[in-house]
Amino acid sequence: MNATGIPLKEPSVSAVAGDTEQEERALIDASTRVPVLMFYTSAMAWLILGTLLAGFVSFKLHTPDMFSEISFLTWGRVRPAHMNVMVYGWASMAGMGTAIWLMARLCRTVLRYPLLLLAGAGFWNLGVVLGVGGILLGDSTGYQWLEFPRYAAIILFIAYTLVASWAVLMFRYRRGEQIYITQWYLLGAFLWFPWLYTAGQLMLFVVPVQGVLQSAVGWWYANNLLFLWFGAIGLGTAYYMIPKVIGRPVYSYHLATIGFWTYALFSSWTGMQRLVDGPFPAWMITASIAATILTIIPVATVGLNHHMTMQGYFPLLRYSPTLRFTVFGAMSYTVFSLVGVLISLRSVARYVNFTQASIAYSHLGLYAFFTMVIFGSMYYIVPRLVGREWRYASLIKLHFWASAYGIGLMTLMLLAGGFLQGANMDNPSLVFSESTETILPYLRGRSLSGILLTASHFIFAYHFGLMLLGLGRTSTVPTFLNPVEAEGSEAHI
Amino acid sequence: MNEETPKLTPPKASGVGQGMDYGEQADVQQVHAAVQREKREPRVGAEPLSIWLIAVYGLAVFFGGAYLGRYSGNFSGDALDPYGGEAHAMKKVTGPQGAEQVAELSPHDRGKKIFAANCQTCHQANGLGVPGQYPPLAGSEFTTGGSRRPAEIVMKGLQGPVTVKGQKYGTAVMQPWDKTLTDQKIADVLTYERSEWGNSASPVTAEQIAALRKELANHPESFTEPDILALPADAELPGGPPAGAPPPKPGEAAKPNAPPKP
Repeated sequence: MNATGIPLKEPSVSAVAGDTEQEERALIDASTRVPVLMFYTSAMAWLILGTLLAGFVSFKLHTPDMFSEISFLTWGRVRPAHMNVMVYGWASMAGMGTAIWLMARLCRTVLRYPLLLLAGAGFWNLGVVLGVGGILLGDSTGYQWLEFPRYAAIILFIAYTLVASWAVLMFRYRRGEQIYITQWYLLGAFLWFPWLYTAGQLMLFVVPVQGVLQSAVGWWYANNLLFLWFGAIGLGTAYYMIPKVIGRPVYSYHLATIGFWTYALFSSWTGMQRLVDGPFPAWMITASIAATILTIIPVATVGLNHHMTMQGYFPLLRYSPTLRFTVFGAMSYTVFSLVGVLISLRSVARYVNFTQASIAYSHLGLYAFFTMVIFGSMYYIVPRLVGREWRYASLIKLHFWASAYGIGLMTLMLLAGGFLQGANMDNPSLVFSESTETILPYLRGRSLSGILLTASHFIFAYHFGLMLLGLGRTSTVPTFLNPVEAEGSEAHI
Repeated sequence: MNEETPKLTPPKASGVGQGMDYGEQADVQQVHAAVQREKREPRVGAEPLSIWLIAVYGLAVFFGGAYLGRYSGNFSGDALDPYGGEAHAMKKVTGPQGAEQVAELSPHDRGKKIFAANCQTCHQANGLGVPGQYPPLAGSEFTTGGSRRPAEIVMKGLQGPVTVKGQKYGTAVMQPWDKTLTDQKIADVLTYERSEWGNSASPVTAEQIAALRKELANHPESFTEPDILALPADAELPGGPPAGAPPPKPGEAAKPNAPPKP
C-alpha cells in the first residue's frame, strides 16, 4: 500500500456515517499501517528473545554453574544482552511504533515519508542485532545500557536520526491549531533521546571524561533514558489513551502544563543519586537526590490529572483491555517515582544502594509503567491497522493477569531481598558472602515471577501473530474483557 | 466514591449496519468499525489548580531545598562528606578524652569474620569439622591448650595423620596461612577459635604472632603430628597474658590499646 498516495479528502458527505472525522482517521490509520506494524513486529521478536535471556539470567543468580563453561552464556555477557535487547529492541521499538501512530493521528495528517521510518526500523534492528551479538562475543563496553560496541551504536544513531527527523517533519505538516499534550511529550522524547545518547557516547567513548566522572555520566544516562525517553513516551501515550477510550476531556490543561515542564526540568538532574557514598563531591549526589525529591511535583500533578479524568469511569476497566493496561501503567508510574524518591534518600540508599532493590526500581519503570502502557496502546492500535478485532478475550485477560502478578511479585521480591541484602552488607560482623546467600529465596521467587512474565509474553506474541496473519475476529464490536451487560456498553476500545 | 456510572448505550446503529471490515473492502471509504465507533480525539479541560496540590508543591520544594542545604558538603569540590567536609570529620576523631571514639569490633568478632571466610569450609561453622577428614576445633586439645600449638598449625599448616579427641583424621592437608593472613588476622582468628563453641583459652595478640613469624621464618614445610606433639601441650607464645587469664567474652569491646584494624 502506498501510504503517501492516499489523499486527505476535504470533509464531504460520507456514505458511511456522515462523520468527516471518521473518514480522516481511517485514512490516517491506513497510512500508518506498514511502518507501525514493522516497528511492532520487530519489537515483539525482541521481546521474546529478551524474555528468554531474562529467564536465563534470573536462574543463573541462584544456579550459577548452569552453562558456565560456555563463554557467551556467562553472566557477564547474558545480563547486558538481556538489558539491551529489552531497552533498545523491545521498549524503544514498541515505543516508537506507538509514538509514530499517535503522531500521525494528532497531527491530523496522513503519514508522510514512510520510507524514512522503514529505513529507520531496518537500521535500528541491524544496530540491535550487531550490538547484542557484540556483547555476547565479548565486545561490551561495560557501561549500563550503553554496552553496545561503537559500531552498533553508530548504526543505532543513524536509525534514530531517520525516525526523529520524520517526527519533526510530521509536526511541521500538522493541521489544526491545537497541539495536544501527547504531542508535547512525544516531541520532547524525540529531541531528548539524541541529547542523552550523544552526551553519553561522547563523554564515555569519544572523548572520555576522567576517572570516576565516567560512572557519573553513565548513571545520568541510564536514569534519564528511563525518565526522558521511556517515561515521556509512556506518559504521552497514557495522556492519549485514557481520555480517548472513555471519551471525556483530560481534567486540566494547567495540571498538564505544570506536569510536563517540571518533569522535563527535574528529571534531567537525576541519575547521580544511584551513586550515594561513591567517591564524588557530596553536592553532586545531593543535587540529584534533591531533584529526585522534586519529581514528586510532576508525579502528583500527572497522577491527579489522570485520576480526575478517570473519575467515575473506573467501571470501564472491567471491559476495555486498553484502558486496563494503560491505567495499570499510569498508576505504576506513581509507584515507580515514589519508590525512586525513597531509595535515593541517603539514609535509605546507604542500605539499598548496589543491591537488588535498584533492579526492582528499573523494572518498575521499564515494565510496570512503560511496558504496560505500551501493551495497552498496542491493544488499541493493532486492530485499527489490520482491520480485525482481537480474537480471544481470554488471552487478553491471561496476558494482563500474568503480567500484573509477574511484575508485582518481581518488584516485591527484589525490594524485600534488596533491603535484606543491604542490611546484611551494612552489618560489619557478617562476611560479604552471607549478604548474598540470605537473599537466595528471594531470587528464586523472582525466577517464579519470570516464569509468569514469560507466559504472558508468549501469549501476547501468539495473539499478535494471529492478528498479523489476518486471523482476528471480523466484527463491528470490539473484544471486551468481560461480556457487556444487557444494556450494552459504549463501544470503546 | 462516585454515583455517576458510565453512560452505557448500544453501538451506533449506523456502525452496525454498515461497518464492514477494512480488510474486506476495496474502498477505503468504508471505514473500519473500530474507527467508526471510537470516541472523538481527546480534548483538554481547564479545571483550576487545587490548593492542596499547591501545598504538595510547597512541601516538595521545601523538603528538596532543605535536603540540598543539609547534605551538600558546603558545595565544595573536594568534600566527600555530605555534612561539610573536614571540619566535621575532625570533630568526630577528637572525642572528649582525645581518644578515638569510633566503635570497633572486638578481636572475637573480627576473628569470626576471618573464620567464616577462610576456615569454615573445612572446620565447619560449628567447629566440629568433618569426621575422618577435618578435625574439630571445638573442645580439641590442640586448640584449647597452650597457644603455641594452634598458632604454629595455623601459621604453617599441617599434613599427615593426626589424632584429635581420640578420632583419627588425615586424608586432608591444611594449608599454611602465614603468607595469606596478617599477624593481626591470625591472632584474631586464634582468639575466636579459642573462645568459641565452649572453648575457653587465652586470647592471642598480633605481637605474639609477629614474634612467632620471625621464629618460623626459615621453616618452609608444613608441620606433621610428631612436630606438634614435640611441643609441650601447655606451651604459650611469648608475650601473652599470664596463664589462667580469663578468656575474652564474645562481643567484648576492644581495649583502648588494641591495635588498629588491619
